[in-house]
Amino acid sequence: MATLLSIKCNLVDADVPYNDVGIIEGNQADYITLDLVHDYLIWSEDLEAHLNHDPINDLNEHAVVIDDDAEKLVPECLVFDYSGDWDGSNYYTQLVKGMGENKRFVFCFSFDGATANEPQLEAWDDSDHDSYAKHVLGAGRPANSMVKVVCTTGVAPATNWALSGGAGIAIAGSGATRIIKLNDGNGALDDLATGETSQEVYANIAVVIPQAYATPAVESFILTVRYTWN
Amino acid sequence: MIKRPLFILVLEDESIFSGGDFQNTKWNEIPDNKKIKRLFYSLPNKDYLCLEGYDKYYHLIEATTDLNGKLSGKVRLEFAYILGRREDKITCYKITLQSKENQKIGNIERTEYNETDSFISGLNQKAWK
Repeated sequence: MATLLSIKCNLVDADVPYNDVGIIEGNQADYITLDLVHDYLIWSEDLEAHLNHDPINDLNEHAVVIDDDAEKLVPECLVFDYSGDWDGSNYYTQLVKGMGENKRFVFCFSFDGATANEPQLEAWDDSDHDSYAKHVLGAGRPANSMVKVVCTTGVAPATNWALSGGAGIAIAGSGATRIIKLNDGNGALDDLATGETSQEVYANIAVVIPQAYATPAVESFILTVRYTWN
Repeated sequence: MIKRPLFILVLEDESIFSGGDFQNTKWNEIPDNKKIKRLFYSLPNKDYLCLEGYDKYYHLIEATTDLNGKLSGKVRLEFAYILGRREDKITCYKITLQSKENQKIGNIERTEYNETDSFISGLNQKAWK
């Protein structure tokens, strides 16, 4: 059967994996599984978690300010949880824990079986997957993409991984050096062990705006996972 | 209407094995104890791509899932790959399953690989048949 993917975000403790990893005890309750049809990620300066309404109208008040003196790591990533329940509302924003920090178990990619080769994460302008012209993706120069990613399946990414000189990779398009392999370059995901129902790989994802970037903008971008099965 | 199998194999004992569809290809159900003699792979235009004379064969489906945007959450089939291996040389046929600005459904790209190329060495080796 086709291998199925689900995406999860850690909302509690970014030192805790989804499932047990070696001596680290996992806790699935720390994670929210994204309903990709309705939920989405919001990158913001200081938008509050636990908003009980659609936060679109709040975004201008919480926009990230470009820093003249240093590159700027967008400080918050929130999940807009369409089906969440907070004070009886159907809208619920929740803060993703560990985003941009030296944390390993932040964004989780869960597969229910083996893959034919290594799954990878890419960034594109839109769902056509054929351009990366937006400023956030480097305005045509993928090495200048503001979307920084590090695979954390094996180890934590180190302090300041998303800033210049860190281990984070600027991703845009599908060039071999501008995507991130999600299994630390170790190839395909093997068959599930007996008794397991899924296997997880991890990444930390951040948006970093260059110092004194000259073009303010409100831009969206597409994150996509490319994966395979036999 | 009769649904065409994704592939049809003639095995070394002349028995026939029929594949499933993109979601359930049945590739991993091919008997390991019988060598593939000939492979017919169903193309989007209803033709078949025929491979024979290789030592081993490989098949994979490549898909994408967006985390956001208008197609968020959909599993989009991008390419099918069918590979034939003779000693350390691998011939790969990459079949387009998704039309885009620069590609059409059914396009086939043929590439020759060595077994040390990263695309080949990164494959799940258990699925060579």
